[in-house]
This record gives sequence, structure tokens and C-alpha cells, in this order.
Amino acid sequence: MAVTRKPVLPRVGHFASFGAPGVLVYLCFVLAPILISFGYSLTNYNPFDPPVRFTGLANYRLLFSDEQFLTALRITTILTLIVVIVPNVLGLGVALLLDRKGWLYNALRSVFFTPVILSSVVVSIIWSRLLDDEGPLNTLLRALGVEHPPGWLSDPDLALYSVASIVCWQLLGFCVVVYLAGLQGVPAELLEAAEIDGAGPLRRFRAVTWPLLAPSLTITTVVLLISAFKTYDYVKVITNGGPGSGATATIAFDVLQTGFDANHVGYASAMAVLMLVIVAVVTSVVLNFLRRREVDL
Amino acid sequence: MRRLLALGATALLAVSACSVGSNAGGGTEITFLTFETPNLTPAYWDAAIKRVTDKNPGIKVKKLVAPTADGRTSYAKQLLQSGQFPDVLIAVDSAGFAEAGHLYAWTPGELKDFEFPEANPVNGKYYQLPANTQTIPPVYYNKKMFADAGIAAPPKTWDELVADAGKLKDKGFAPFTIGGGKDGFPSSMILSGLVGTEVYNTTPDWLTQRRQDKVKFTDPAFQHAFSKLADLAAKGYVDKTSVSRDYAATEQAFLDGKSAMYPMGNWFAANADSKKHDFEVGLFNFPTEDGKLVVPAYTGGGMIVNAKAANLDAAKKFALGFQLDKDQLDASVKADGLFPAIKGYTPPSDVGPTFKAGYELYTEAVRQHAIVPAFRWETADDGLLPGMKDKVDQAAQDVITGRKPVADACAFLDTEWAKAG
Repeated sequence: MAVTRKPVLPRVGHFASFGAPGVLVYLCFVLAPILISFGYSLTNYNPFDPPVRFTGLANYRLLFSDEQFLTALRITTILTLIVVIVPNVLGLGVALLLDRKGWLYNALRSVFFTPVILSSVVVSIIWSRLLDDEGPLNTLLRALGVEHPPGWLSDPDLALYSVASIVCWQLLGFCVVVYLAGLQGVPAELLEAAEIDGAGPLRRFRAVTWPLLAPSLTITTVVLLISAFKTYDYVKVITNGGPGSGATATIAFDVLQTGFDANHVGYASAMAVLMLVIVAVVTSVVLNFLRRREVDL
Repeated sequence: MRRLLALGATALLAVSACSVGSNAGGGTEITFLTFETPNLTPAYWDAAIKRVTDKNPGIKVKKLVAPTADGRTSYAKQLLQSGQFPDVLIAVDSAGFAEAGHLYAWTPGELKDFEFPEANPVNGKYYQLPANTQTIPPVYYNKKMFADAGIAAPPKTWDELVADAGKLKDKGFAPFTIGGGKDGFPSSMILSGLVGTEVYNTTPDWLTQRRQDKVKFTDPAFQHAFSKLADLAAKGYVDKTSVSRDYAATEQAFLDGKSAMYPMGNWFAANADSKKHDFEVGLFNFPTEDGKLVVPAYTGGGMIVNAKAANLDAAKKFALGFQLDKDQLDASVKADGLFPAIKGYTPPSDVGPTFKAGYELYTEAVRQHAIVPAFRWETADDGLLPGMKDKVDQAAQDVITGRKPVADACAFLDTEWAKAG
């Protein structure tokens, strides 16, 4: 009987055959574009105005004195804070309400999840119709006696919050699903033990459920953070960055406008690279904090 | 393994041979970038393409559609940068593309049938077929509302317009229809009229001078014109909540009788004549300070051709065939209210009354040499810098919503101009 010897070291080819496609895709579609963008950001690249000149960090220096960019940064920060906090809080609340058995709760889970699978453009079109000054919401408000209902999308002080609400509405279902999955993982015996020890519903949530939902919070926070930072589609479809100059223009929107409308690809690349750095830093800090919290618990 | 590679290579070659443009389905294929509006529907474009290809059976056209009507130039740039620049594009701003050598420069012989062959030069060459003229903006008005407000005749001077707006408001009518949202240009229509009649009236090459830094948006003349928009907004004649309304909804609002006046390009005439509404539509030239006839208009809007098109001859033939075909011109008049700028062309007799009225206003302005450029709509050497159209719309919205005083809005335009340059 022939005895086959197991190789001591795993075969490199075996792993390469699994890993290579992924690595190749990552290199071509993630790493290479980032490096190319960084390269562009150090130039005055304008595809319609050759030649390309190396300008060093001039684009980056300009960014910090560009009022439009700083406004976009402020708007993105506000939008991100709203989009990270609101769906998390509401998602947890809805998940707690729906964490029961029965056809009604199953149906409601589907209702909350449906927006997640819709295209953001479709969502934007639907909501821009609903929030129009003469749309159903304001028509209802007028019928209820509100003489001057809010200009949800036309008031520069309100439009950003309207857009943020729409983003929150779509992402709520994602949070609900993640928290529901987290709630399924909370051992019933722990909750029962806490109840026997005399803990009420609030105490049980604070002492047992919430700590065990830490991984869910990490997932939702990081995903929401990244989604909020790259918000472009909602802004493009609903307000086109307005009303007026930069009321809702996020950095991602500004990048596309500067790169494709004004042809300043070099400058837009600097914006994109800076945005990447901000997202990377903020995400790392948040992730580090939340992960440490998970371990501490 | 070798056989497999050979098979793959053969399949790849076969696929590329089909997609590189020639002989797909027996014709020479070209790509054609269009856009859609309430007037220019998918059916309009399909019929227009068929009309030309029926006369040129060797040409097969693959229609592409820009995602938004107003964003067609941006979309063309995206296509160019991703290596998918179409062979023929319509109503896309030639500036930028032309200087970078992406467009075919038409010869004088090829432009001989056009009325204004020297419209929109880029460094002395002509890249965009000067296919039609558009007056931007005449003011459409609801005759019933005017009559109800006791206004006997449309205004000729700015003061008369403001007074009429006051009468309309007193009667409970919203004086002006404007829009915005994802389509910014309906926000800046009144501004276009004001700059045309007040700034270009005396300085028709104002934007050329702006490019040379001889004038600025913060100059008194421009600010004075802009301040009239601010005045209308301050008096409540322009509804600031309307800046969230997209173009289609803006047009519908006027047709639904929600306001009395609608400053819009002459293309609106097509829908005024064809879409349902329960009042008679009138129109007048955008009023001037002293009543002098000044009509802002833009001639161009035609096709541009990719200089590196795989089938350049077919692309040129299609473009010229499209723009000069009488049936197509008639169709464009009826669908989009255009004034074809083709020598010897006369619009069909069965066009609607709004179109006829607008065409008469235009021909009279031509006769009196009262045409000036249409601010924000110019292209080529005397146009706004790339990316500035959106900024103009934003500045108009800032003033309408009261977010910025006129001086700040003009300063914003100068800042953005410096960045765009």
C-alpha cells in the first residue's frame, strides 16, 4: 500500500490560486486608482487643457483656503453625524420592538428592510416628489391649517437635514437587520437570570442586552460612517448641491463637480485623496474605540 | 490548454470585430449622444434617427442618452475620460473638447447651408453645427390672469413688468414661475434676461471681456442687473420655495395655472402649443429698462463630431443629414420649438400659435438688429468657463432665497471664475 506524504508546508500554488484573483482585483480597482488619484493630485491635470505640470502640494494648500471645499467639509461632517447617530438609535429601537415572534413582526421586518434594497436614485426621486413645496406632505400640512409649510428642499437652512433624513430613512432597515441579528445572539438564560435577580426591562437591557450588542454597533457605525462620507447620489438627484451655493454639497459631490464639470481633475483628486485620508482616520479611530469596547465588555 | 486559449482569442476577436463599429448588421455603426426633456422624448429621438438612417441606409446609429438634460456636457466628459466618447453628440458644449483636439472642425463648405456659420468659434474654428437659434428667455404669460388683474397689454419696460407683477400679486396670483432642484437653469432664467437686456445691451462681448479680466461680476453694471432679481424676490414676486422644483415640474406648474409669468427659452412654445392647459398663453420679449428692443438669443446647439470617430465620414454625414433634413427640422420645430438657422428654411404652416408668436418676435428682433447673446447659454470663446453655469444657477438661488445679498453672490461668481480659470 502506497503511503502519500502530507507536505510539511502548504503549497504556495494552492493558496495563490485562491488569493490571486482577489488580490488582482484589489490592486487593479482599489489600490491602482488610489495611487493614480494621488499622482493626479500633485499635478494641474486638466484633460482639456494640456500639458500636465507637476505642482507638488499646491492643490492641497489651496484646499484649505477654498471656501467651497471647507463648506463641503462642514456639510459632510454634519451629514455624517446625523447619518451615524439617527439610524443607529432608531434602528436599535425598532429592532427591540420587532424582536418577537409572529407574522406581524415578520411582515414589519420586511417593511423596514425594503428601502435598503431600493436604488438610492429611486429613493431620491420618490422623496424629492414627496418633499416638494407642492408635494403631498406640504399639501397635507396646508390642509391641517399650516399656512406656510416648510420648504423642505428649498430652504437652504433645512435642505441638508431633509437630505440627511432621506439617507437615514434608507439606511434604517440595515441597522434594524443588524441589531435584530445581534438580539438573536443574546442568550435567553442570561436575561432570565437577570430577571430572577430582580432586574427590570431597562436594567436587563442596560446590563445584558446592550453590552452584547457591541459587535452590531461596531458594524452599523462603520458602515454608516463610510456611507455618509461618500454621499453623492442623493445630493445629485434631490438638490444638485443647492439650493444656492453649497447648501447640501458634500465633498463627494464637490469632487465630481470639480473634476467633471470644471475639468480640474488634479484639484478634484486632491479633494478625493483628502477625503480618503479623513475617512480612513475617522474610521480607524471609531473602529479602534468600538473594538476595544467589545473586548472590555 | 493551448487550444482553449486559441478558442478564447478567436471568440474575443469575433466580439471585438462586431463591436468596433463597422458592419454590425450590415451598416457602419456610429454612437450618438442625445438627451431627453419633456419635449424631446425617446420617441422623438428614435423617429429622428430613423428619418436620417432611412435616407442613409449604410449608417447604423446606436443611441446613447445623457442621464439628465442639463448634465449632458458633464456626461460627455465622463464618457471621454472613460474612453467611450461618442461619435456624434447633440447640444453638448464644444468648449474644452474642441481645444483639446477631440472635435472635428467643420469646413466652410460644410457650413454653407447654415444661416450663421460663424457662430461659436473656438480659436477661430467651428466645431458645433449652428443648427438653431433659441431666444432665452422670452416671458410666457397667462392671458386670463393678466386680464383678471386688469393688465391690458404685456409690459415693455422693467418698471411696467414690476408694476404688473404687483397687480398680479394683489389679485392673489403668483407672478413668476421659476424652478431649480436637480435642474438649476430655471432658477437663473430671469437673471439671464436681465444680464442680456441690461449688460449685453451695451457690452455684447461682456463675457469675452470677463475672460480677459477687463470686467468682473462685482462691477456695478452686473450687480445692478442682478439686484433686479433680488428686488423681485424681496417683493415676493418670485417664490423662493420654487427653487427645489425640477424643470419638468416647473413647466407643469405654469401650465397648471399656478403663476402668471414664465420666463423660459423659446423651446417652451412647443409644449405650450401641445400640452393641456385651460388658458391662453401669450408671450413678450424680456423687458428692458427703457423699452428698447433687446432680445437675448443663442445660435448653436447643434451636433459636434468626435474627430477620432472610427467612422468619421459616417458620423459627419449623419450629423449634417440630421441637421439639414427638412422633415427633421420641422419635427424639431414642433417638438422643441426651435428656430432652425438654416438658409431658406421656413417653419411649417401648421405650427401652434405660441410658436408663431415667438418666431415673429425673433424675426422682428433680427430685422431690427436687436439680438444680444444669452447669458449663461453662450458657448465657445465667448461663453462661461467650464463649471460656471452651475455656479450662476447657485448664485441666482442664493439671491432668490435671501441667503446672500447681491454683492456676495457676485463676489462668489468672481471667486468661482478664478478657480475655474
